[in-house]
Amino acid sequence: MKKILLLSLAAAALPLIVGGCATKAHYVQTGGHESLVTVGSINIQDYIQAASTMTSELLASGALDKVPTPPAVLAISRIINNTGEQIDTDLLTKKIRVAVLQSGKALTTTTFGMGGSSEDPMAKEIQQNGELNTGLGTARTPDFTLSGKIIQTVARDGSTSQSTFSFQLSLTDPRSGLAVWEGEKEITKQGGRGSVGF
Amino acid sequence: MKSRIFLLFAVIGFAAGLLAVSGCKSSVNSVENAQKTGQRQMISDQRVITDRGLARKVSIVGVNQVTTPGGFLKVQIELLNTTRSPQRFSYRFEWFDASGMLISSPAAPAFPDQIDGGEDKFITGQSPTPACKDFRVKFLENTN
Repeated sequence: MKKILLLSLAAAALPLIVGGCATKAHYVQTGGHESLVTVGSINIQDYIQAASTMTSELLASGALDKVPTPPAVLAISRIINNTGEQIDTDLLTKKIRVAVLQSGKALTTTTFGMGGSSEDPMAKEIQQNGELNTGLGTARTPDFTLSGKIIQTVARDGSTSQSTFSFQLSLTDPRSGLAVWEGEKEITKQGGRGSVGF
Repeated sequence: MKSRIFLLFAVIGFAAGLLAVSGCKSSVNSVENAQKTGQRQMISDQRVITDRGLARKVSIVGVNQVTTPGGFLKVQIELLNTTRSPQRFSYRFEWFDASGMLISSPAAPAFPDQIDGGEDKFITGQSPTPACKDFRVKFLENTN
């Protein structure tokens, strides 16, 4: 009798336990404290943090102010991904571009890319047509190029794993080929294998 | 019977003591030059405390600010961990223009941070544009 009572109580409690554990889909603030944290991958808040820190450092350095005709023109060069996952580096560079544009210190060219490619092919076409018609070059040569690397360093001890993501950026003056500013932001995350936190 | 109860209490006491010792971390010692050359421009601040626990554990010592040569507002906040164990928290800077309007930025994260027991630490933030005139910093305790 007792056994039946206990079993029926357990059966009644089960949906409550399961229901209490399930998370309903909901919105969270991007990069906020509720965002999921995973050890082995770069989370959105990591990109935001890295972009914010390095943009502040870049602007504070005053490197972008040292151009004959401000605001400076910036071209985005190669960002090498040396992590274990496939990432879109625009998640980092776009935030920096927007922040730098917002600051009024630099503009980013979308018609100047590596190997003759361009981010905005139509803009480049219009620009080239204009140059053909007038016979004059209208495009401003970039004052600086922004290149970088994202590196992942993994460490494990027993069931604890740790990942350090190093975001490295260099601002180069293409005329001299010298890096006029360099920044690095490291983000380290630690947790149990396959752990997810907030 | 009495000795059994005594033994039980002794075991519980030992376990509690062990837990307390393992949870407790040593606090930070530091040394610095006594005669300071740099002068901090301290500003008066206004605080809104809704988490008294966090405010007690991680107290705000002072706020100083400068305007960079590029016209950006740079703010530095001195924090002190009044406990002997590390405290995890996150903070987020908000910036306002001359009209008191919030300036949104794609790179405005909540920075997770940690302060060791007894540690005195600085956190800094720089405005996203020279148009920023005021600021606010929000602190939140990280429980995990």
